[in-house]
Amino acid sequence: MTAAASIIEGRGLAKSYGAITALSSLDLTVGRGERVALVGPSGSGKTTLLYILAGLIPLDHGQLVLRSKPVADLRPGKELSEIVGLVQQQLDLVPQLPVIQNVLAGRLGQWGLLRSLASMFSAHERGEVVEALSRLGIADKIDERTSQLSGGEQQRVAIARLMLQAPRIILADEPVSSLDPARAEEILRLLTEVAADSDRTIIASLHAPELIRKYFSRVIGLREGKFQFDIPVQELTTQRLDALYDLDRRHQS
Amino acid sequence: MIWTGVTKARGAARFLETRRLLTLVLAGALVWSLTGVDWGGGIVHTGGGNAFKEFLTALFPPELSPGFLKLAIAASWQTLVHAVAGITLALAIGLALGVVASGSLGHLGRSRLAIAVAARFLLAIMRSIHELVWAVLFVTAFGLSSLAVVLAIAIPYAGILGRIYSELLNDVPDGPLDGLRSSGASPAKVLVYGRIPLALTDMIGYSFYRFECAIRAAAIMSFVGIRGLGYEIQLSLNDLLFSEVWTLLLFLVGLVLLVDYWSTRVRRSLGS
Repeated sequence: MTAAASIIEGRGLAKSYGAITALSSLDLTVGRGERVALVGPSGSGKTTLLYILAGLIPLDHGQLVLRSKPVADLRPGKELSEIVGLVQQQLDLVPQLPVIQNVLAGRLGQWGLLRSLASMFSAHERGEVVEALSRLGIADKIDERTSQLSGGEQQRVAIARLMLQAPRIILADEPVSSLDPARAEEILRLLTEVAADSDRTIIASLHAPELIRKYFSRVIGLREGKFQFDIPVQELTTQRLDALYDLDRRHQS
Repeated sequence: MIWTGVTKARGAARFLETRRLLTLVLAGALVWSLTGVDWGGGIVHTGGGNAFKEFLTALFPPELSPGFLKLAIAASWQTLVHAVAGITLALAIGLALGVVASGSLGHLGRSRLAIAVAARFLLAIMRSIHELVWAVLFVTAFGLSSLAVVLAIAIPYAGILGRIYSELLNDVPDGPLDGLRSSGASPAKVLVYGRIPLALTDMIGYSFYRFECAIRAAAIMSFVGIRGLGYEIQLSLNDLLFSEVWTLLLFLVGLVLLVDYWSTRVRRSLGS
């Protein structure tokens, strides 16, 4: 990957919470259109890394350059939201709002305050919401309360929000961990399709090897805040995963 | 190892013994203190029983003559109007100050904390003074007018509502807020699209509860001479017309039940 094509350049990324080191001096380069899976046991720093890349939590040390601009120089709001967007489990939706407002929240970075307020009462850009939702197969849910939707449907609403935000880098924090295998695959397919649309980069944390092999091109193993491996998906072996998740050691003892 | 275990067990047993002994001493002190009470009389007002019986029997039936009912309705209306106007003003002031006090408007920059603390301080002053005391102040300033009642209710209630709103707005889960932030939402937009919808059901529920309190407060404003249900209750009590008192009390209960019913309807439609 040449430097010109890279969209994320991280040098010595470090973050700790008190005495606990969440990330210890990571170097990370990700190119345009790459599909990166982040694997590792709970507490290995996956979420911290994704939140740092999303600009939601500040770095302790290190330098992060997104689209050849230091993240500190990016204006929060419009500029940052055009570059990165984040999908969490299902928690990133406001359950009390109708689906349409949760989807339109993807535009909050671009809209001014007055426009955002006005849209709360009479929704702007309904057409685009309908378009995004029908691509995800839930156009009929547009005016329902988000809390009434199933887990899989809520995840689609989160993807629709991302489609309206249209960031260059899509970050997904365990987007399918609460879904059954069939729905998990469906959501990942949609997510990677949206990313492939205009050569967007996607970085997602997940655990299922078969989904990683099917939808991603590169795998990074994270453990105790350090990269254990960073390999093309073809080189992902069961032994590597077992070692990362400590499964082999548990067998021996 | 074994020895430390034994000492520990002994220590625990001794602690229990001490506690039982203390309980015994305190119970003894209570019994002994009862001997200090003069049981001969004066503890209960001897004529009270009869007066109370008279008051209770007056409920069957309460005063239901058309003329008095008309008066009760007019008084209820007056009380309701005072309560509605007071709570409405309190909602507006409480919401504005509550949002500022919650510190969730990030745009105020470095002075944000100072402004939030100032708002919290102002809310504390407003609610630390009872509505009747405010009423005395405002009656002195504006005379026996509705304006005095409305302000006397609005100010302390805004203090209470603002405090609760600011807490509810801060106590929402972080997940949805982070989601909005990652979409580029500023703190003000996070407030409108996240904090307020997330906290709204609780905010409305608490506001309704305060509305019920405002009706009670509006009724009791008779103590400073303002007309309404409380004023009529006081007049009837002075004349020992207990059937009339009952009618007025039933109207007061009716008002509160009406608000309660409305509150249930609204909260159900919000479908929490």
